[in-house]
Amino acid sequence: MEIIKKVYGYLSSMKTGLVLLVLVGVAAALGSAFLPDVFFNSWLFKLLLIILSVNMVFCTANRFILFKSRLIKNRNRWLREIGSLLLHAGIVFILAGLLVHTYYGQNAQIAIRTGDTVDVSRVIKMKEPFSLHLDDFKVEYNEDGSPSQYNSYVIVIENRKVKNDAVISVNHPLNYRGVKFYQQSYGYLVKAKYINDAGNEVEELIKEGNFIRPEGTERTVKVFRYIPNFDPEHGMATKTLRPDNPRIIFSVYEGDQLLGVGAAQFDERVEIDENVYVVFAGVEPYTILKAKSDPGLPLAFLGGGMFVIGVTIALLAAPSQEKKQEGSFNKEMR
Amino acid sequence: MKLLITVIIYALFITYLLGAVLFFIGNKSGKKQALLTAGLMVKIGFVLNIAALIVRAVIAGRLPLANSSEFTLWFTVIIVALYLFYETKAKMREAGGAVMLISALLIGSILVLMKGQLGEAVPLMPALKSPWLTIHVLTAAVAYACFALAAGLAIMQLAKAETKITDGSIHRIVVGGFVMLSLTIVFGAVWAEQAWGNYWSWDPKETWALITWIVYALYLHLRRRLGWKGKTASIMVIVGFVFVLFTFFGVNYLMSGLHSYA
Ligand code: HEM
Repeated sequence: MEIIKKVYGYLSSMKTGLVLLVLVGVAAALGSAFLPDVFFNSWLFKLLLIILSVNMVFCTANRFILFKSRLIKNRNRWLREIGSLLLHAGIVFILAGLLVHTYYGQNAQIAIRTGDTVDVSRVIKMKEPFSLHLDDFKVEYNEDGSPSQYNSYVIVIENRKVKNDAVISVNHPLNYRGVKFYQQSYGYLVKAKYINDAGNEVEELIKEGNFIRPEGTERTVKVFRYIPNFDPEHGMATKTLRPDNPRIIFSVYEGDQLLGVGAAQFDERVEIDENVYVVFAGVEPYTILKAKSDPGLPLAFLGGGMFVIGVTIALLAAPSQEKKQEGSFNKEMR
Repeated sequence: MKLLITVIIYALFITYLLGAVLFFIGNKSGKKQALLTAGLMVKIGFVLNIAALIVRAVIAGRLPLANSSEFTLWFTVIIVALYLFYETKAKMREAGGAVMLISALLIGSILVLMKGQLGEAVPLMPALKSPWLTIHVLTAAVAYACFALAAGLAIMQLAKAETKITDGSIHRIVVGGFVMLSLTIVFGAVWAEQAWGNYWSWDPKETWALITWIVYALYLHLRRRLGWKGKTASIMVIVGFVFVLFTFFGVNYLMSGLHSYA
């Protein structure tokens, strides 16, 4: 019994808490300087956070038990007492939310082409499956050609019924049944056509970096990259993201041998071999969304709110009466 | 416009620096004239600083809240506003030298490290288009400014044998800064959740804001629980400000991350 009491006393003391806080600080500093990608996911760091959480649960519980008697004793400081309790409990909630996130959170990336539908339950486990259909993807631009917003126009489909339509853009995620969708990135597929001797036309949608193999020739065409605003001075980098001067950079091969590189305009007929042509008719954008389900999020949000309110009222609204309390505390807290 | 903002920034730098020098001379020799002129410099600097923000807003065509030089202008204007308030309340000019020197050095950093930023009109990138930008940046600027003022007071308190600067007043300013830093971090997390889909990603800026916050939390607890006051407390306040500066400059220039544009 003695030992348990001692361990509990140690674990729940503020001094231990402060030591742990220093350890977290030092660890975070070293981690951010040397191995940010590895360190913060390591079990060592997680363990430290868990011990800190345990300490704060105990010390907050202690304070909760003492709350009433302290309120009576420090009647003129009741706002500070409430604030202080709120802020410490808030930190505990945030850490708990983080813990739930670590064990039950799910993340996935979803790429959808305009007109396509993706079953979200294939990447995020859920009770009532639904799908996301991309109606359109549009980039808005500033005057100088830099992007001002990326918009995915989506429709939520559940049991084959349209449930919702929404625009997902940066800073405006969609929340549907606890799954949140964020605009994360985008890309383009190139519409390529080849026309051969016999006058046959074949259309294909090609990913950047992939090859077209037209019939009627041994040669192949690599669709290297789509450049929205081509400027020879910028080389392979686009001048701006706005499609002011779109080109497709391609290269022609015979076997392993590179025959040439070119920058084709849309609808330009490029002769690959005798009587074999390739035409790039345009591009089709696809959107990349981040899908996330985090059951710990409400807990963390609640904790954040409690913490903010607690900090504010504990430190600002309450009068600071330093001399009075000095004696009364040293007894309660080790 | 480009020329105007450059002129204002140079004038601002000289004004703050001159103010600092005059404060040091005045406080050392007790010459009233020097102190009065120093006080005038603070006010001129304050007006110039506001002018710089307005001209920058016109050049950028938006509220100047996005890059590090814009942030620095808020940082110093709030330091000076807080200092003016403190000077009137405490009725003394002892800390003026250190506070003005800090402001001058910050403006100097715009001239050295952030050249050309203020003359260019760069539209906001999509991630920055959020009401949280205003709240997050302004609370951060107020937090940093409180810590700067507190450090200025602490430096002068340590440097002088006899001083009217009280431990309690430094503590109160740190408390203000701590609340604002707490708000900055929480609002930043809410925003990150909206923009990036993660409220905490151990990005260097986040991590160092947390470390800074831990340093001041330690100060608050040690001061209250273990009675670390006077000299030890003042040293902690100065160390805390070194962490603030690292979170601002060190992270921007030495580490890369999601926050790297500010
Ligand atoms: C680890 C266990 C912790 C314990 C046992 C603890 C305990 C205490 C106690 C007893 C007080 C005095 C409350 C009052 O004035 O009524 C206090 C104040 C405070 N605590 Fe904690 N605390 C802990 C962790 C933290 C953490 C992680 C933070 C976040 C930074 C924090 C922030 C504060 C603040 C801001 C105050 C008010 C400081 C002041 O009044 O000057 N505490 N804490």
